Amino acid sequence: MNLGDPPIYTIRLSGELEIGRKNEIREALQVSEDSGAVLLDLGEVTYADSIALTELLRFCVGAQRDGLPVALVIRTPQFARLVEYAGLASAFKIFNDRAAAVEYLAECLRR
Amino acid sequence: MSPASELRLCCPAQSRYVAPARHALASFLEALRFDREFREDVTTAAGEAMANVVEHAYARGRKTPSGHLELRAKLLSDGKLSVDVVDDGSFIERRRPADRGFGLRIIRAVAGQLRIETEDGTRIRMTFNP
Repeated sequence: MNLGDPPIYTIRLSGELEIGRKNEIREALQVSEDSGAVLLDLGEVTYADSIALTELLRFCVGAQRDGLPVALVIRTPQFARLVEYAGLASAFKIFNDRAAAVEYLAECLRR
Repeated sequence: MSPASELRLCCPAQSRYVAPARHALASFLEALRFDREFREDVTTAAGEAMANVVEHAYARGRKTPSGHLELRAKLLSDGKLSVDVVDDGSFIERRRPADRGFGLRIIRAVAGQLRIETEDGTRIRMTFNP
């Protein structure tokens, strides 16, 4: 889903992001070439594991390489702690509020 | 009636069984009235250990059916919680830290104690302090 112009491409994942959904997660983490920025809306994720985290990291590293800003919305305490435990807090731009994430991406696109 | 103080389940070491096993552990911990953050941390660590079994324990024999994984959780007399994840696969391909990705790092961050035994399969023994 695209928001605005230049587009902020939104990828929304929900439920439990775990090993049983590895392929689905990988397939979902794709962006169109005209995307200006990516919002990963994970606000409805109820659980995540390191398999999901690895896929998210892979996606964010690729996006960074392509010059695409990425923001994650994470609200679930388990998910937020998982990122901390894995030592990846600085690897992602994380917000617990969708509006703040969109504002951050819009600001990135204005620069 | 007091809740059971031990959970033991065995399932095929396949990805689709990890979530149900984790849910069973969550229910067990809820019955023991542990607080939410503790329950989540324990199930997170157990989920990582089980995912590790699925991804690596039987990787050397992919043409043969995968083996099993066993999850054991027990409330100890000192109030701590012991959780074991056991498989009878090979540990040889899993010795390098890179193979373990973030899973082991997460387990170490959560569990008070971690012991990995590699004789006749692998036993990941985690002890948690509520």
